[in-house]
Amino acid sequence: MSVERAVVLFYLAACIAIGILASRKVLGSRDEYWVAGRRIGTAVNTLAIMASLASGGSILGVMGLAYSQGIPTTLALFAGAVIGFPLASILVARPLRRFGQYTITDFLAFRFPSPVTRAIVPVLIVVAFTAYIVAQLKAAGIAAHALLDIPYESALAIATLVFIVYVSIGGMIAVTWTDVVQGLLMVGVVIATAFALMWRTGSPLERLRAATDAAPELGRFADESIGSSLGYFLIWATAIPVIPHIVMRVFSARDARSAQLSLNFAMLIYSGMILIAVFAIAPAGKLAFPALADADQLFLRVVEAEFSPLWRGFAVAAVLAAVMSTTDALLLACSSAIAHDLLGSWLRARASDRMLAMVRVGSAWIVGALALYWAFSPPELLSRFYTAGIGLLSAGLFVPTIAGLWWKRANLAGGVASLVAGAGSYALCLTGAIDLGAPAIAVALGASALAMLAGGLLGSRDGEALRAEIARLHEREAGAGAA
Amino acid sequence: MVEPNADGAPPTCGPRSFFPLPRGERRVLGALVAAAAAAYLPPLRAIEIAGVALFGWLMAALMVFSPLLTLWVFWRGRPRA
Repeated sequence: MSVERAVVLFYLAACIAIGILASRKVLGSRDEYWVAGRRIGTAVNTLAIMASLASGGSILGVMGLAYSQGIPTTLALFAGAVIGFPLASILVARPLRRFGQYTITDFLAFRFPSPVTRAIVPVLIVVAFTAYIVAQLKAAGIAAHALLDIPYESALAIATLVFIVYVSIGGMIAVTWTDVVQGLLMVGVVIATAFALMWRTGSPLERLRAATDAAPELGRFADESIGSSLGYFLIWATAIPVIPHIVMRVFSARDARSAQLSLNFAMLIYSGMILIAVFAIAPAGKLAFPALADADQLFLRVVEAEFSPLWRGFAVAAVLAAVMSTTDALLLACSSAIAHDLLGSWLRARASDRMLAMVRVGSAWIVGALALYWAFSPPELLSRFYTAGIGLLSAGLFVPTIAGLWWKRANLAGGVASLVAGAGSYALCLTGAIDLGAPAIAVALGASALAMLAGGLLGSRDGEALRAEIARLHEREAGAGAA
Repeated sequence: MVEPNADGAPPTCGPRSFFPLPRGERRVLGALVAAAAAAYLPPLRAIEIAGVALFGWLMAALMVFSPLLTLWVFWRGRPRA
């Protein structure tokens, strides 16, 4: 046990060291703190984006889901996010990088200038992301308890303290570099585990055949799950282009092209990791542990049964890395929603730079502490709750963002109506007040699009200056060829 | 001003009420939506290969080929010196 704990302690210390090093650079500058000076290169951004998306669910959850719900259902859920990245790189990355601000709220408040936009968007972000953070913390606590024999509450408190420290003092630079380390760690552990299993038990295809012969449900797609998997697919495909912790990566990229490339390279690596987990590790686990009570324990059980203490330490560090790489980005996005989106313009007119820096650090601590408090006794069905939170974000933000960037008739009335109709109808569907027999996200996106269309066609057109500014975001580099 | 494409054609191929999207990127978007929709067709959920429903294999293929296709289109459309 001491070897595993030493590996994890070394990893946590490295995260804090990165935060302290980054703090020397970022605390005095808004650009450095929120978007790392806008000079993150393609390779680093690729790993950081991959790590931001790959949460605890992408290691523990994906194998557990394949084990309990089957491989096709699992892939339907994760393919939504993967499709979302090409959508983001084509529809959002170039114009938003040229817009050159800090957050998705900045763009929406600029495109649809209204106090409603400035207030609703950050509130949606904080609500959805706090639930997401709690779910991640729970995964960290479970993993550390299972493999390190640390009490759930202690593991939770230690992990939370570490990422609050490095996010609050190191901003986007610390988040980026810790994400790089975390991304390499989790991809390395998943790939090496799969290769080690292959070395010992034969080719993945043979194991897949053996596992589906022994448990045919592993390879089947249940017709009754079509509605929910379509809903999950839609939620993630439409969330990625607008989800704040990914959009911040677009703003931190060196240029628009680098942002587009890194989004797609990140997805190639992410897809590889998910497919290896689903096709190589989950079938081996299904054969070795056919009757697990908690499917999410599958990866941990495989590692525990097959590998040395040193490797088990790396496995726990990889799970913590997956959790923390997402949670730090979520925390930074929450912090920016409060310190920049909600209070920023008011504070900048009244407060000193030192006070602004204190608000940035303080908001990260407040959100982190609230999430920790909630995670000590998390609600049941938390994963559904946070997926609903992400659905709320995409229902509210997808249509206004895409139409605001691409549709020339999009205007203030349409933008605000679309935002309210999308988020409102999604909430009504979730509470059961509306039941059209379709996934809530499909209903909400339809309502949001209709509201945008009605506002755009019936409302007054935007001013010439605003339309010219949006057109500027779409100018192509001289010499760019036709694709 | 919006730059024309290298072949001299106007950059927009869509309706005038939308900002121009390069033809290749528009085709990728169409292909991704069509592939995702096709994967959900009922007959593809019943066929199995190596014990896994064809739907699962199509989703796996989509996860690999959608970023690859997009990268290829970006590479073709890269700025020229």
